[in-house]
Amino acid sequence: MVVTAKSADGKFEQKAEKFYHPQATNCRDTKMKYGAQWKVANIRDTSLQPLQAKKETIEFDLPKDLRAVDVTVELFYENVNPANKYPVHTVKKTVTLDK
Amino acid sequence: MKSLKLIPVILITMALPLTAFAKAKTIDELAKMYDSSSCKQCHEEIYKQWENSHHARPLMGVKGGLMLTPLAMKGATAFSPDDPQKTTVKNFPCFKCHLPQALAHAEDSVAVELTEALLTAASKEKSDKEKAVAKAKVAKLQITCIVCHNDKALLHKRELGEPKKGVLYGSKAVPAHGDANYKTVEKSAIMKDSVFCGQCHGLGPNFDSDQVFQCANLYGSYLHSYVSGGGTQSCQSCHMQKGDHLIAPNFNDDKGTSELLSKAISLDVQTLGYEWLRKAGDLTSKVVVNTKITTTAGHRIPDG
Repeated sequence: MVVTAKSADGKFEQKAEKFYHPQATNCRDTKMKYGAQWKVANIRDTSLQPLQAKKETIEFDLPKDLRAVDVTVELFYENVNPANKYPVHTVKKTVTLDK
Repeated sequence: MKSLKLIPVILITMALPLTAFAKAKTIDELAKMYDSSSCKQCHEEIYKQWENSHHARPLMGVKGGLMLTPLAMKGATAFSPDDPQKTTVKNFPCFKCHLPQALAHAEDSVAVELTEALLTAASKEKSDKEKAVAKAKVAKLQITCIVCHNDKALLHKRELGEPKKGVLYGSKAVPAHGDANYKTVEKSAIMKDSVFCGQCHGLGPNFDSDQVFQCANLYGSYLHSYVSGGGTQSCQSCHMQKGDHLIAPNFNDDKGTSELLSKAISLDVQTLGYEWLRKAGDLTSKVVVNTKITTTAGHRIPDG
């Protein structure tokens, strides 16, 4: 998931990424592995779990003179490598600090 | 007279499915043993669905990749052979699920042929034509109808025995099944249960191997997160609706995969803009984005 906050003129842009997947090593070192032939066990699991919501709070601090940004949340599924991407959802919102 | 005596023997031989014979020595022989093309005559739609499924290309990975290649390359994995000519079926632990018929019905010569094909397909020195031929050879190895509807159809073998030769197993019995080799379909009690899929879509580390390896955890997730949380659906109720043998996702279909994932996964986004005060007179402009992702899946995402 990539969350982006961007000013209308493009001068301000901040990005936060979250990765949801099981992460395995060969249990002989601390390097994560892809491929069943190298993996032995999961050491961490940040994947989406059944019957459970995955909640995040992401904060962006804006420059003092900036009162509004466009927020885009892109959720996609990567398979094998980051280039092989399946879009799942994209949500866009404009957030203002003015009432 | 001598030739007349041979006729019944020949007829009986022809009536037996190929799986009744000795082990396959070549990729072609193994592919022929498990050839399900005759199923297409009556089950055309299901056959087409299967043809587009990952079960029809279990060694091909996603989008034409050859996922077993590292296993064929010397030194690349603990399973890789030092000499391609000395490859055995045991050099391919992935066969357990990606080609289970090889474990029981293939000679080591099939593993040698597969290793050579994988190395050819990956070689920078080979021509495109040679690579394409090698790739086509690997593609012949499939999880066909017979693998699921015979080999994998029974779990209670101490009670029920091995799957019978010349019999298919389904969710319903068909006493008179119009296939030359498989004349009967018997009911398998597990065919609509998640445990059937769990045979391959696994529990985690394979501790029965002398070099433990881990592929899919999906059935483990189903049992220990979904069922334990009160989930009651089966794999088949979501992935095989109306008997769909595509058993989506098909990761070669970008659009279809995105559609499936967007149906199964929901994303809620709430935002807030305000000025945060940490100390008097020092306001910080802040945007907060709260996201909430939920899924209808009966297993972790991603898994396999």
